[in-house]
Amino acid sequence: MIEVRNLKKVYNGITVVDVPALQINKGESVGLVGNNGAGKTTLFRMVLDLIRAESGEILSNDETVAGHEKWKDYTAAYLDEGFLIDYLTPEEYFYFIGGLHSHNRTYVDEVLVGLTDFFNGEILKKGKYIRDLSKGNQCKVGVAACLLQEPQLLMLDEPFANIDPSTQFRLKNLLKDLNRNKGVTTIVSSHDLNHITDVCDRILLMEKGVIIKDIATSSSTLNELEAYFGVEVAPPAH
Amino acid sequence: MITTFLGHELKAFWRSKNTGKSIAIRVVMALLILYLFGCILLAGLFLNEILGQVFPHDDIVVSFCGIILLYFLFDLMMRMQLQELPTLRVQPYLHLPIKRNTVVGYLAFTAMLSVFNLWPIILFVPFILKVILTDSGALPALVFILAIIGFMLFNNYMALFIKRKANLNGWVFLVFAAALILIITGDFRFHLYSVRNISYLYFGHLLTKPVLVLLPVVLAATMYYINFAYLKQNLYLEELSSRKASAYKSSTEFPLLNRFGKVGDLAANELKLIFRNKRPRSALVMGLFFMFYGLIFYTNSHYGQTWYIFVGMFMTGIFIISYGQFMYSWQGAHFDGLLVSKINFRDFLKAKYLLFTMVSTVAFILTTPYAYFGWRIVLVHFVMYLWNIGVNTTIVLFFANRNAKRIDLSKGASFNWEGVGATQMLISFPLMITPYIIYLPFSLFKHADVGLAMLAGTGIIFILTRDFWVKKLEEDFIQKRYTVAEGFRNK
Repeated sequence: MIEVRNLKKVYNGITVVDVPALQINKGESVGLVGNNGAGKTTLFRMVLDLIRAESGEILSNDETVAGHEKWKDYTAAYLDEGFLIDYLTPEEYFYFIGGLHSHNRTYVDEVLVGLTDFFNGEILKKGKYIRDLSKGNQCKVGVAACLLQEPQLLMLDEPFANIDPSTQFRLKNLLKDLNRNKGVTTIVSSHDLNHITDVCDRILLMEKGVIIKDIATSSSTLNELEAYFGVEVAPPAH
Repeated sequence: MITTFLGHELKAFWRSKNTGKSIAIRVVMALLILYLFGCILLAGLFLNEILGQVFPHDDIVVSFCGIILLYFLFDLMMRMQLQELPTLRVQPYLHLPIKRNTVVGYLAFTAMLSVFNLWPIILFVPFILKVILTDSGALPALVFILAIIGFMLFNNYMALFIKRKANLNGWVFLVFAAALILIITGDFRFHLYSVRNISYLYFGHLLTKPVLVLLPVVLAATMYYINFAYLKQNLYLEELSSRKASAYKSSTEFPLLNRFGKVGDLAANELKLIFRNKRPRSALVMGLFFMFYGLIFYTNSHYGQTWYIFVGMFMTGIFIISYGQFMYSWQGAHFDGLLVSKINFRDFLKAKYLLFTMVSTVAFILTTPYAYFGWRIVLVHFVMYLWNIGVNTTIVLFFANRNAKRIDLSKGASFNWEGVGATQMLISFPLMITPYIIYLPFSLFKHADVGLAMLAGTGIIFILTRDFWVKKLEEDFIQKRYTVAEGFRNK
């Protein structure tokens, strides 16, 4: 599905992403973890052709992403609020996104009915523009807009960060369902190690732009990650 | 504590005014501000002569006393429109261990730091020093200055108080605005009373009885205290913030645009952008005001057809210029989303053309009553309408590909320099000059009609070859997309 070759991105002389080779197969669920500044969002943006790589390339379904638009047909992503048109009501936004994929309104309405639990009554018919929603609810709108597009590749950047616990569980189930039953390839980043090991079959650990670990999730993965992220507590000073 | 606050305030001022702006912009900004300042200062310095010209039969001191209250009446109206509430700036301090009185005092104090509080001083004080000081002596001059500062502060806090109230209840603003308009029409339209006489009544007596200076001082102090007490009681974010209490926002549709498919959807979104955000909305409203631009030129036979071209271009195309010069910046906040969505950039461009064509068509229809000054004017308007939707839209979009400055839609338009860059400076040249490059050679050799026909022809050619320009603009954009998107990501 996604193939990365010799990818490199440099900002002001500092290499922020350096991935010599990475292959993500169709139907995989990939989790991206790493501390702030590890290069997760930059990698996402390059996969979506939002920033230009210094060198190397990314292929999506064997076609270079940069300069091509075919990948837009089957890729849906929500990285941050910058993906939402914030002066629209959620309904208007959903119809707009649906319209881009030539879905009529009845179809959009049907999908939205299926998301009633996920929305928890906080999104539709609330009489608010997207900009007036809380960050968590904006995230719900972004995820729902992704689902509307019936993607084969779904990319979410820290989706668990702002949503409430109930929605976190619902989102996890949604992602598992999409991946296992509908064969959607998912790439999700998160700082929550429990969630990410629960949802993803494969974990990529990034540090300073480099993928330093590529592990298939097993029962020991969580411990392994906690060992990496766990910072030794310094003994109290005397 | 107050000094720390002031330090932060100064930093906020310099850093918000200077960051991300090139030297050229800063120079132009400084020049413009100096120019405005200079104009007012000149008016202040020569106020005695201006008054002598305008009211030749009155003593200048009498006329001066007459206009002061009138000035403050208009000052209040201007403030209601333009002065911004110094509010959210206290948010970072509310949860810190700082006394409420200090925070409120700071808020009330910084409310004085507004340009509106500079104008009356530079406008009136020179006159007081030149005329009243020499005629009546030091004490009257001093009480005059004090009285003017008193009224100024009264206005300052009055406007802020009403604005704060209006944030909670929109009717307050309407009632207050209606009252102000009634006061003004009562004087100028119905002649029930004269604000000038009332003003003279007070300031005239102030000359002989300096004690009267207490009136504005007490008024200002009272208003300050009301503000202070109100703020102290309502030091909660939702009441402070300049956001209005929100009503139910319903979804809207533009059935007319549905016919255009995806392009129509994009144009509908942009219309919503304009109607639902403060700054683009004021660009549109300003465009409506420009519909009266013709009255200046057409009522004066001194201006010929060469001017009409200019006026016609502005009236039918002001929106293309005022809104288009900031193009794609308006969508900067969600540009990433647009790039990732399944939107063909050609559709995106066609939506812009559609939007411009619609607005210009409306503007052209609105200007048809100028037929009163002769049908020829309508003809010139029509030619310039063709020119606008043909040539100017393309020029504007060409520059839009080069503009990567983000705009915060929620901020007002007045004195807002966000998003202004070299693009906006450069764009005015081709917009202003190109029609004359085509027209003037013909008109100078007494073939003005041929020149007009050439303008219309060029417009039509550009409209007919739109697909070609859309393709060129798309190719151009693909080269620049990363730079543009990167710029919009920088807050």
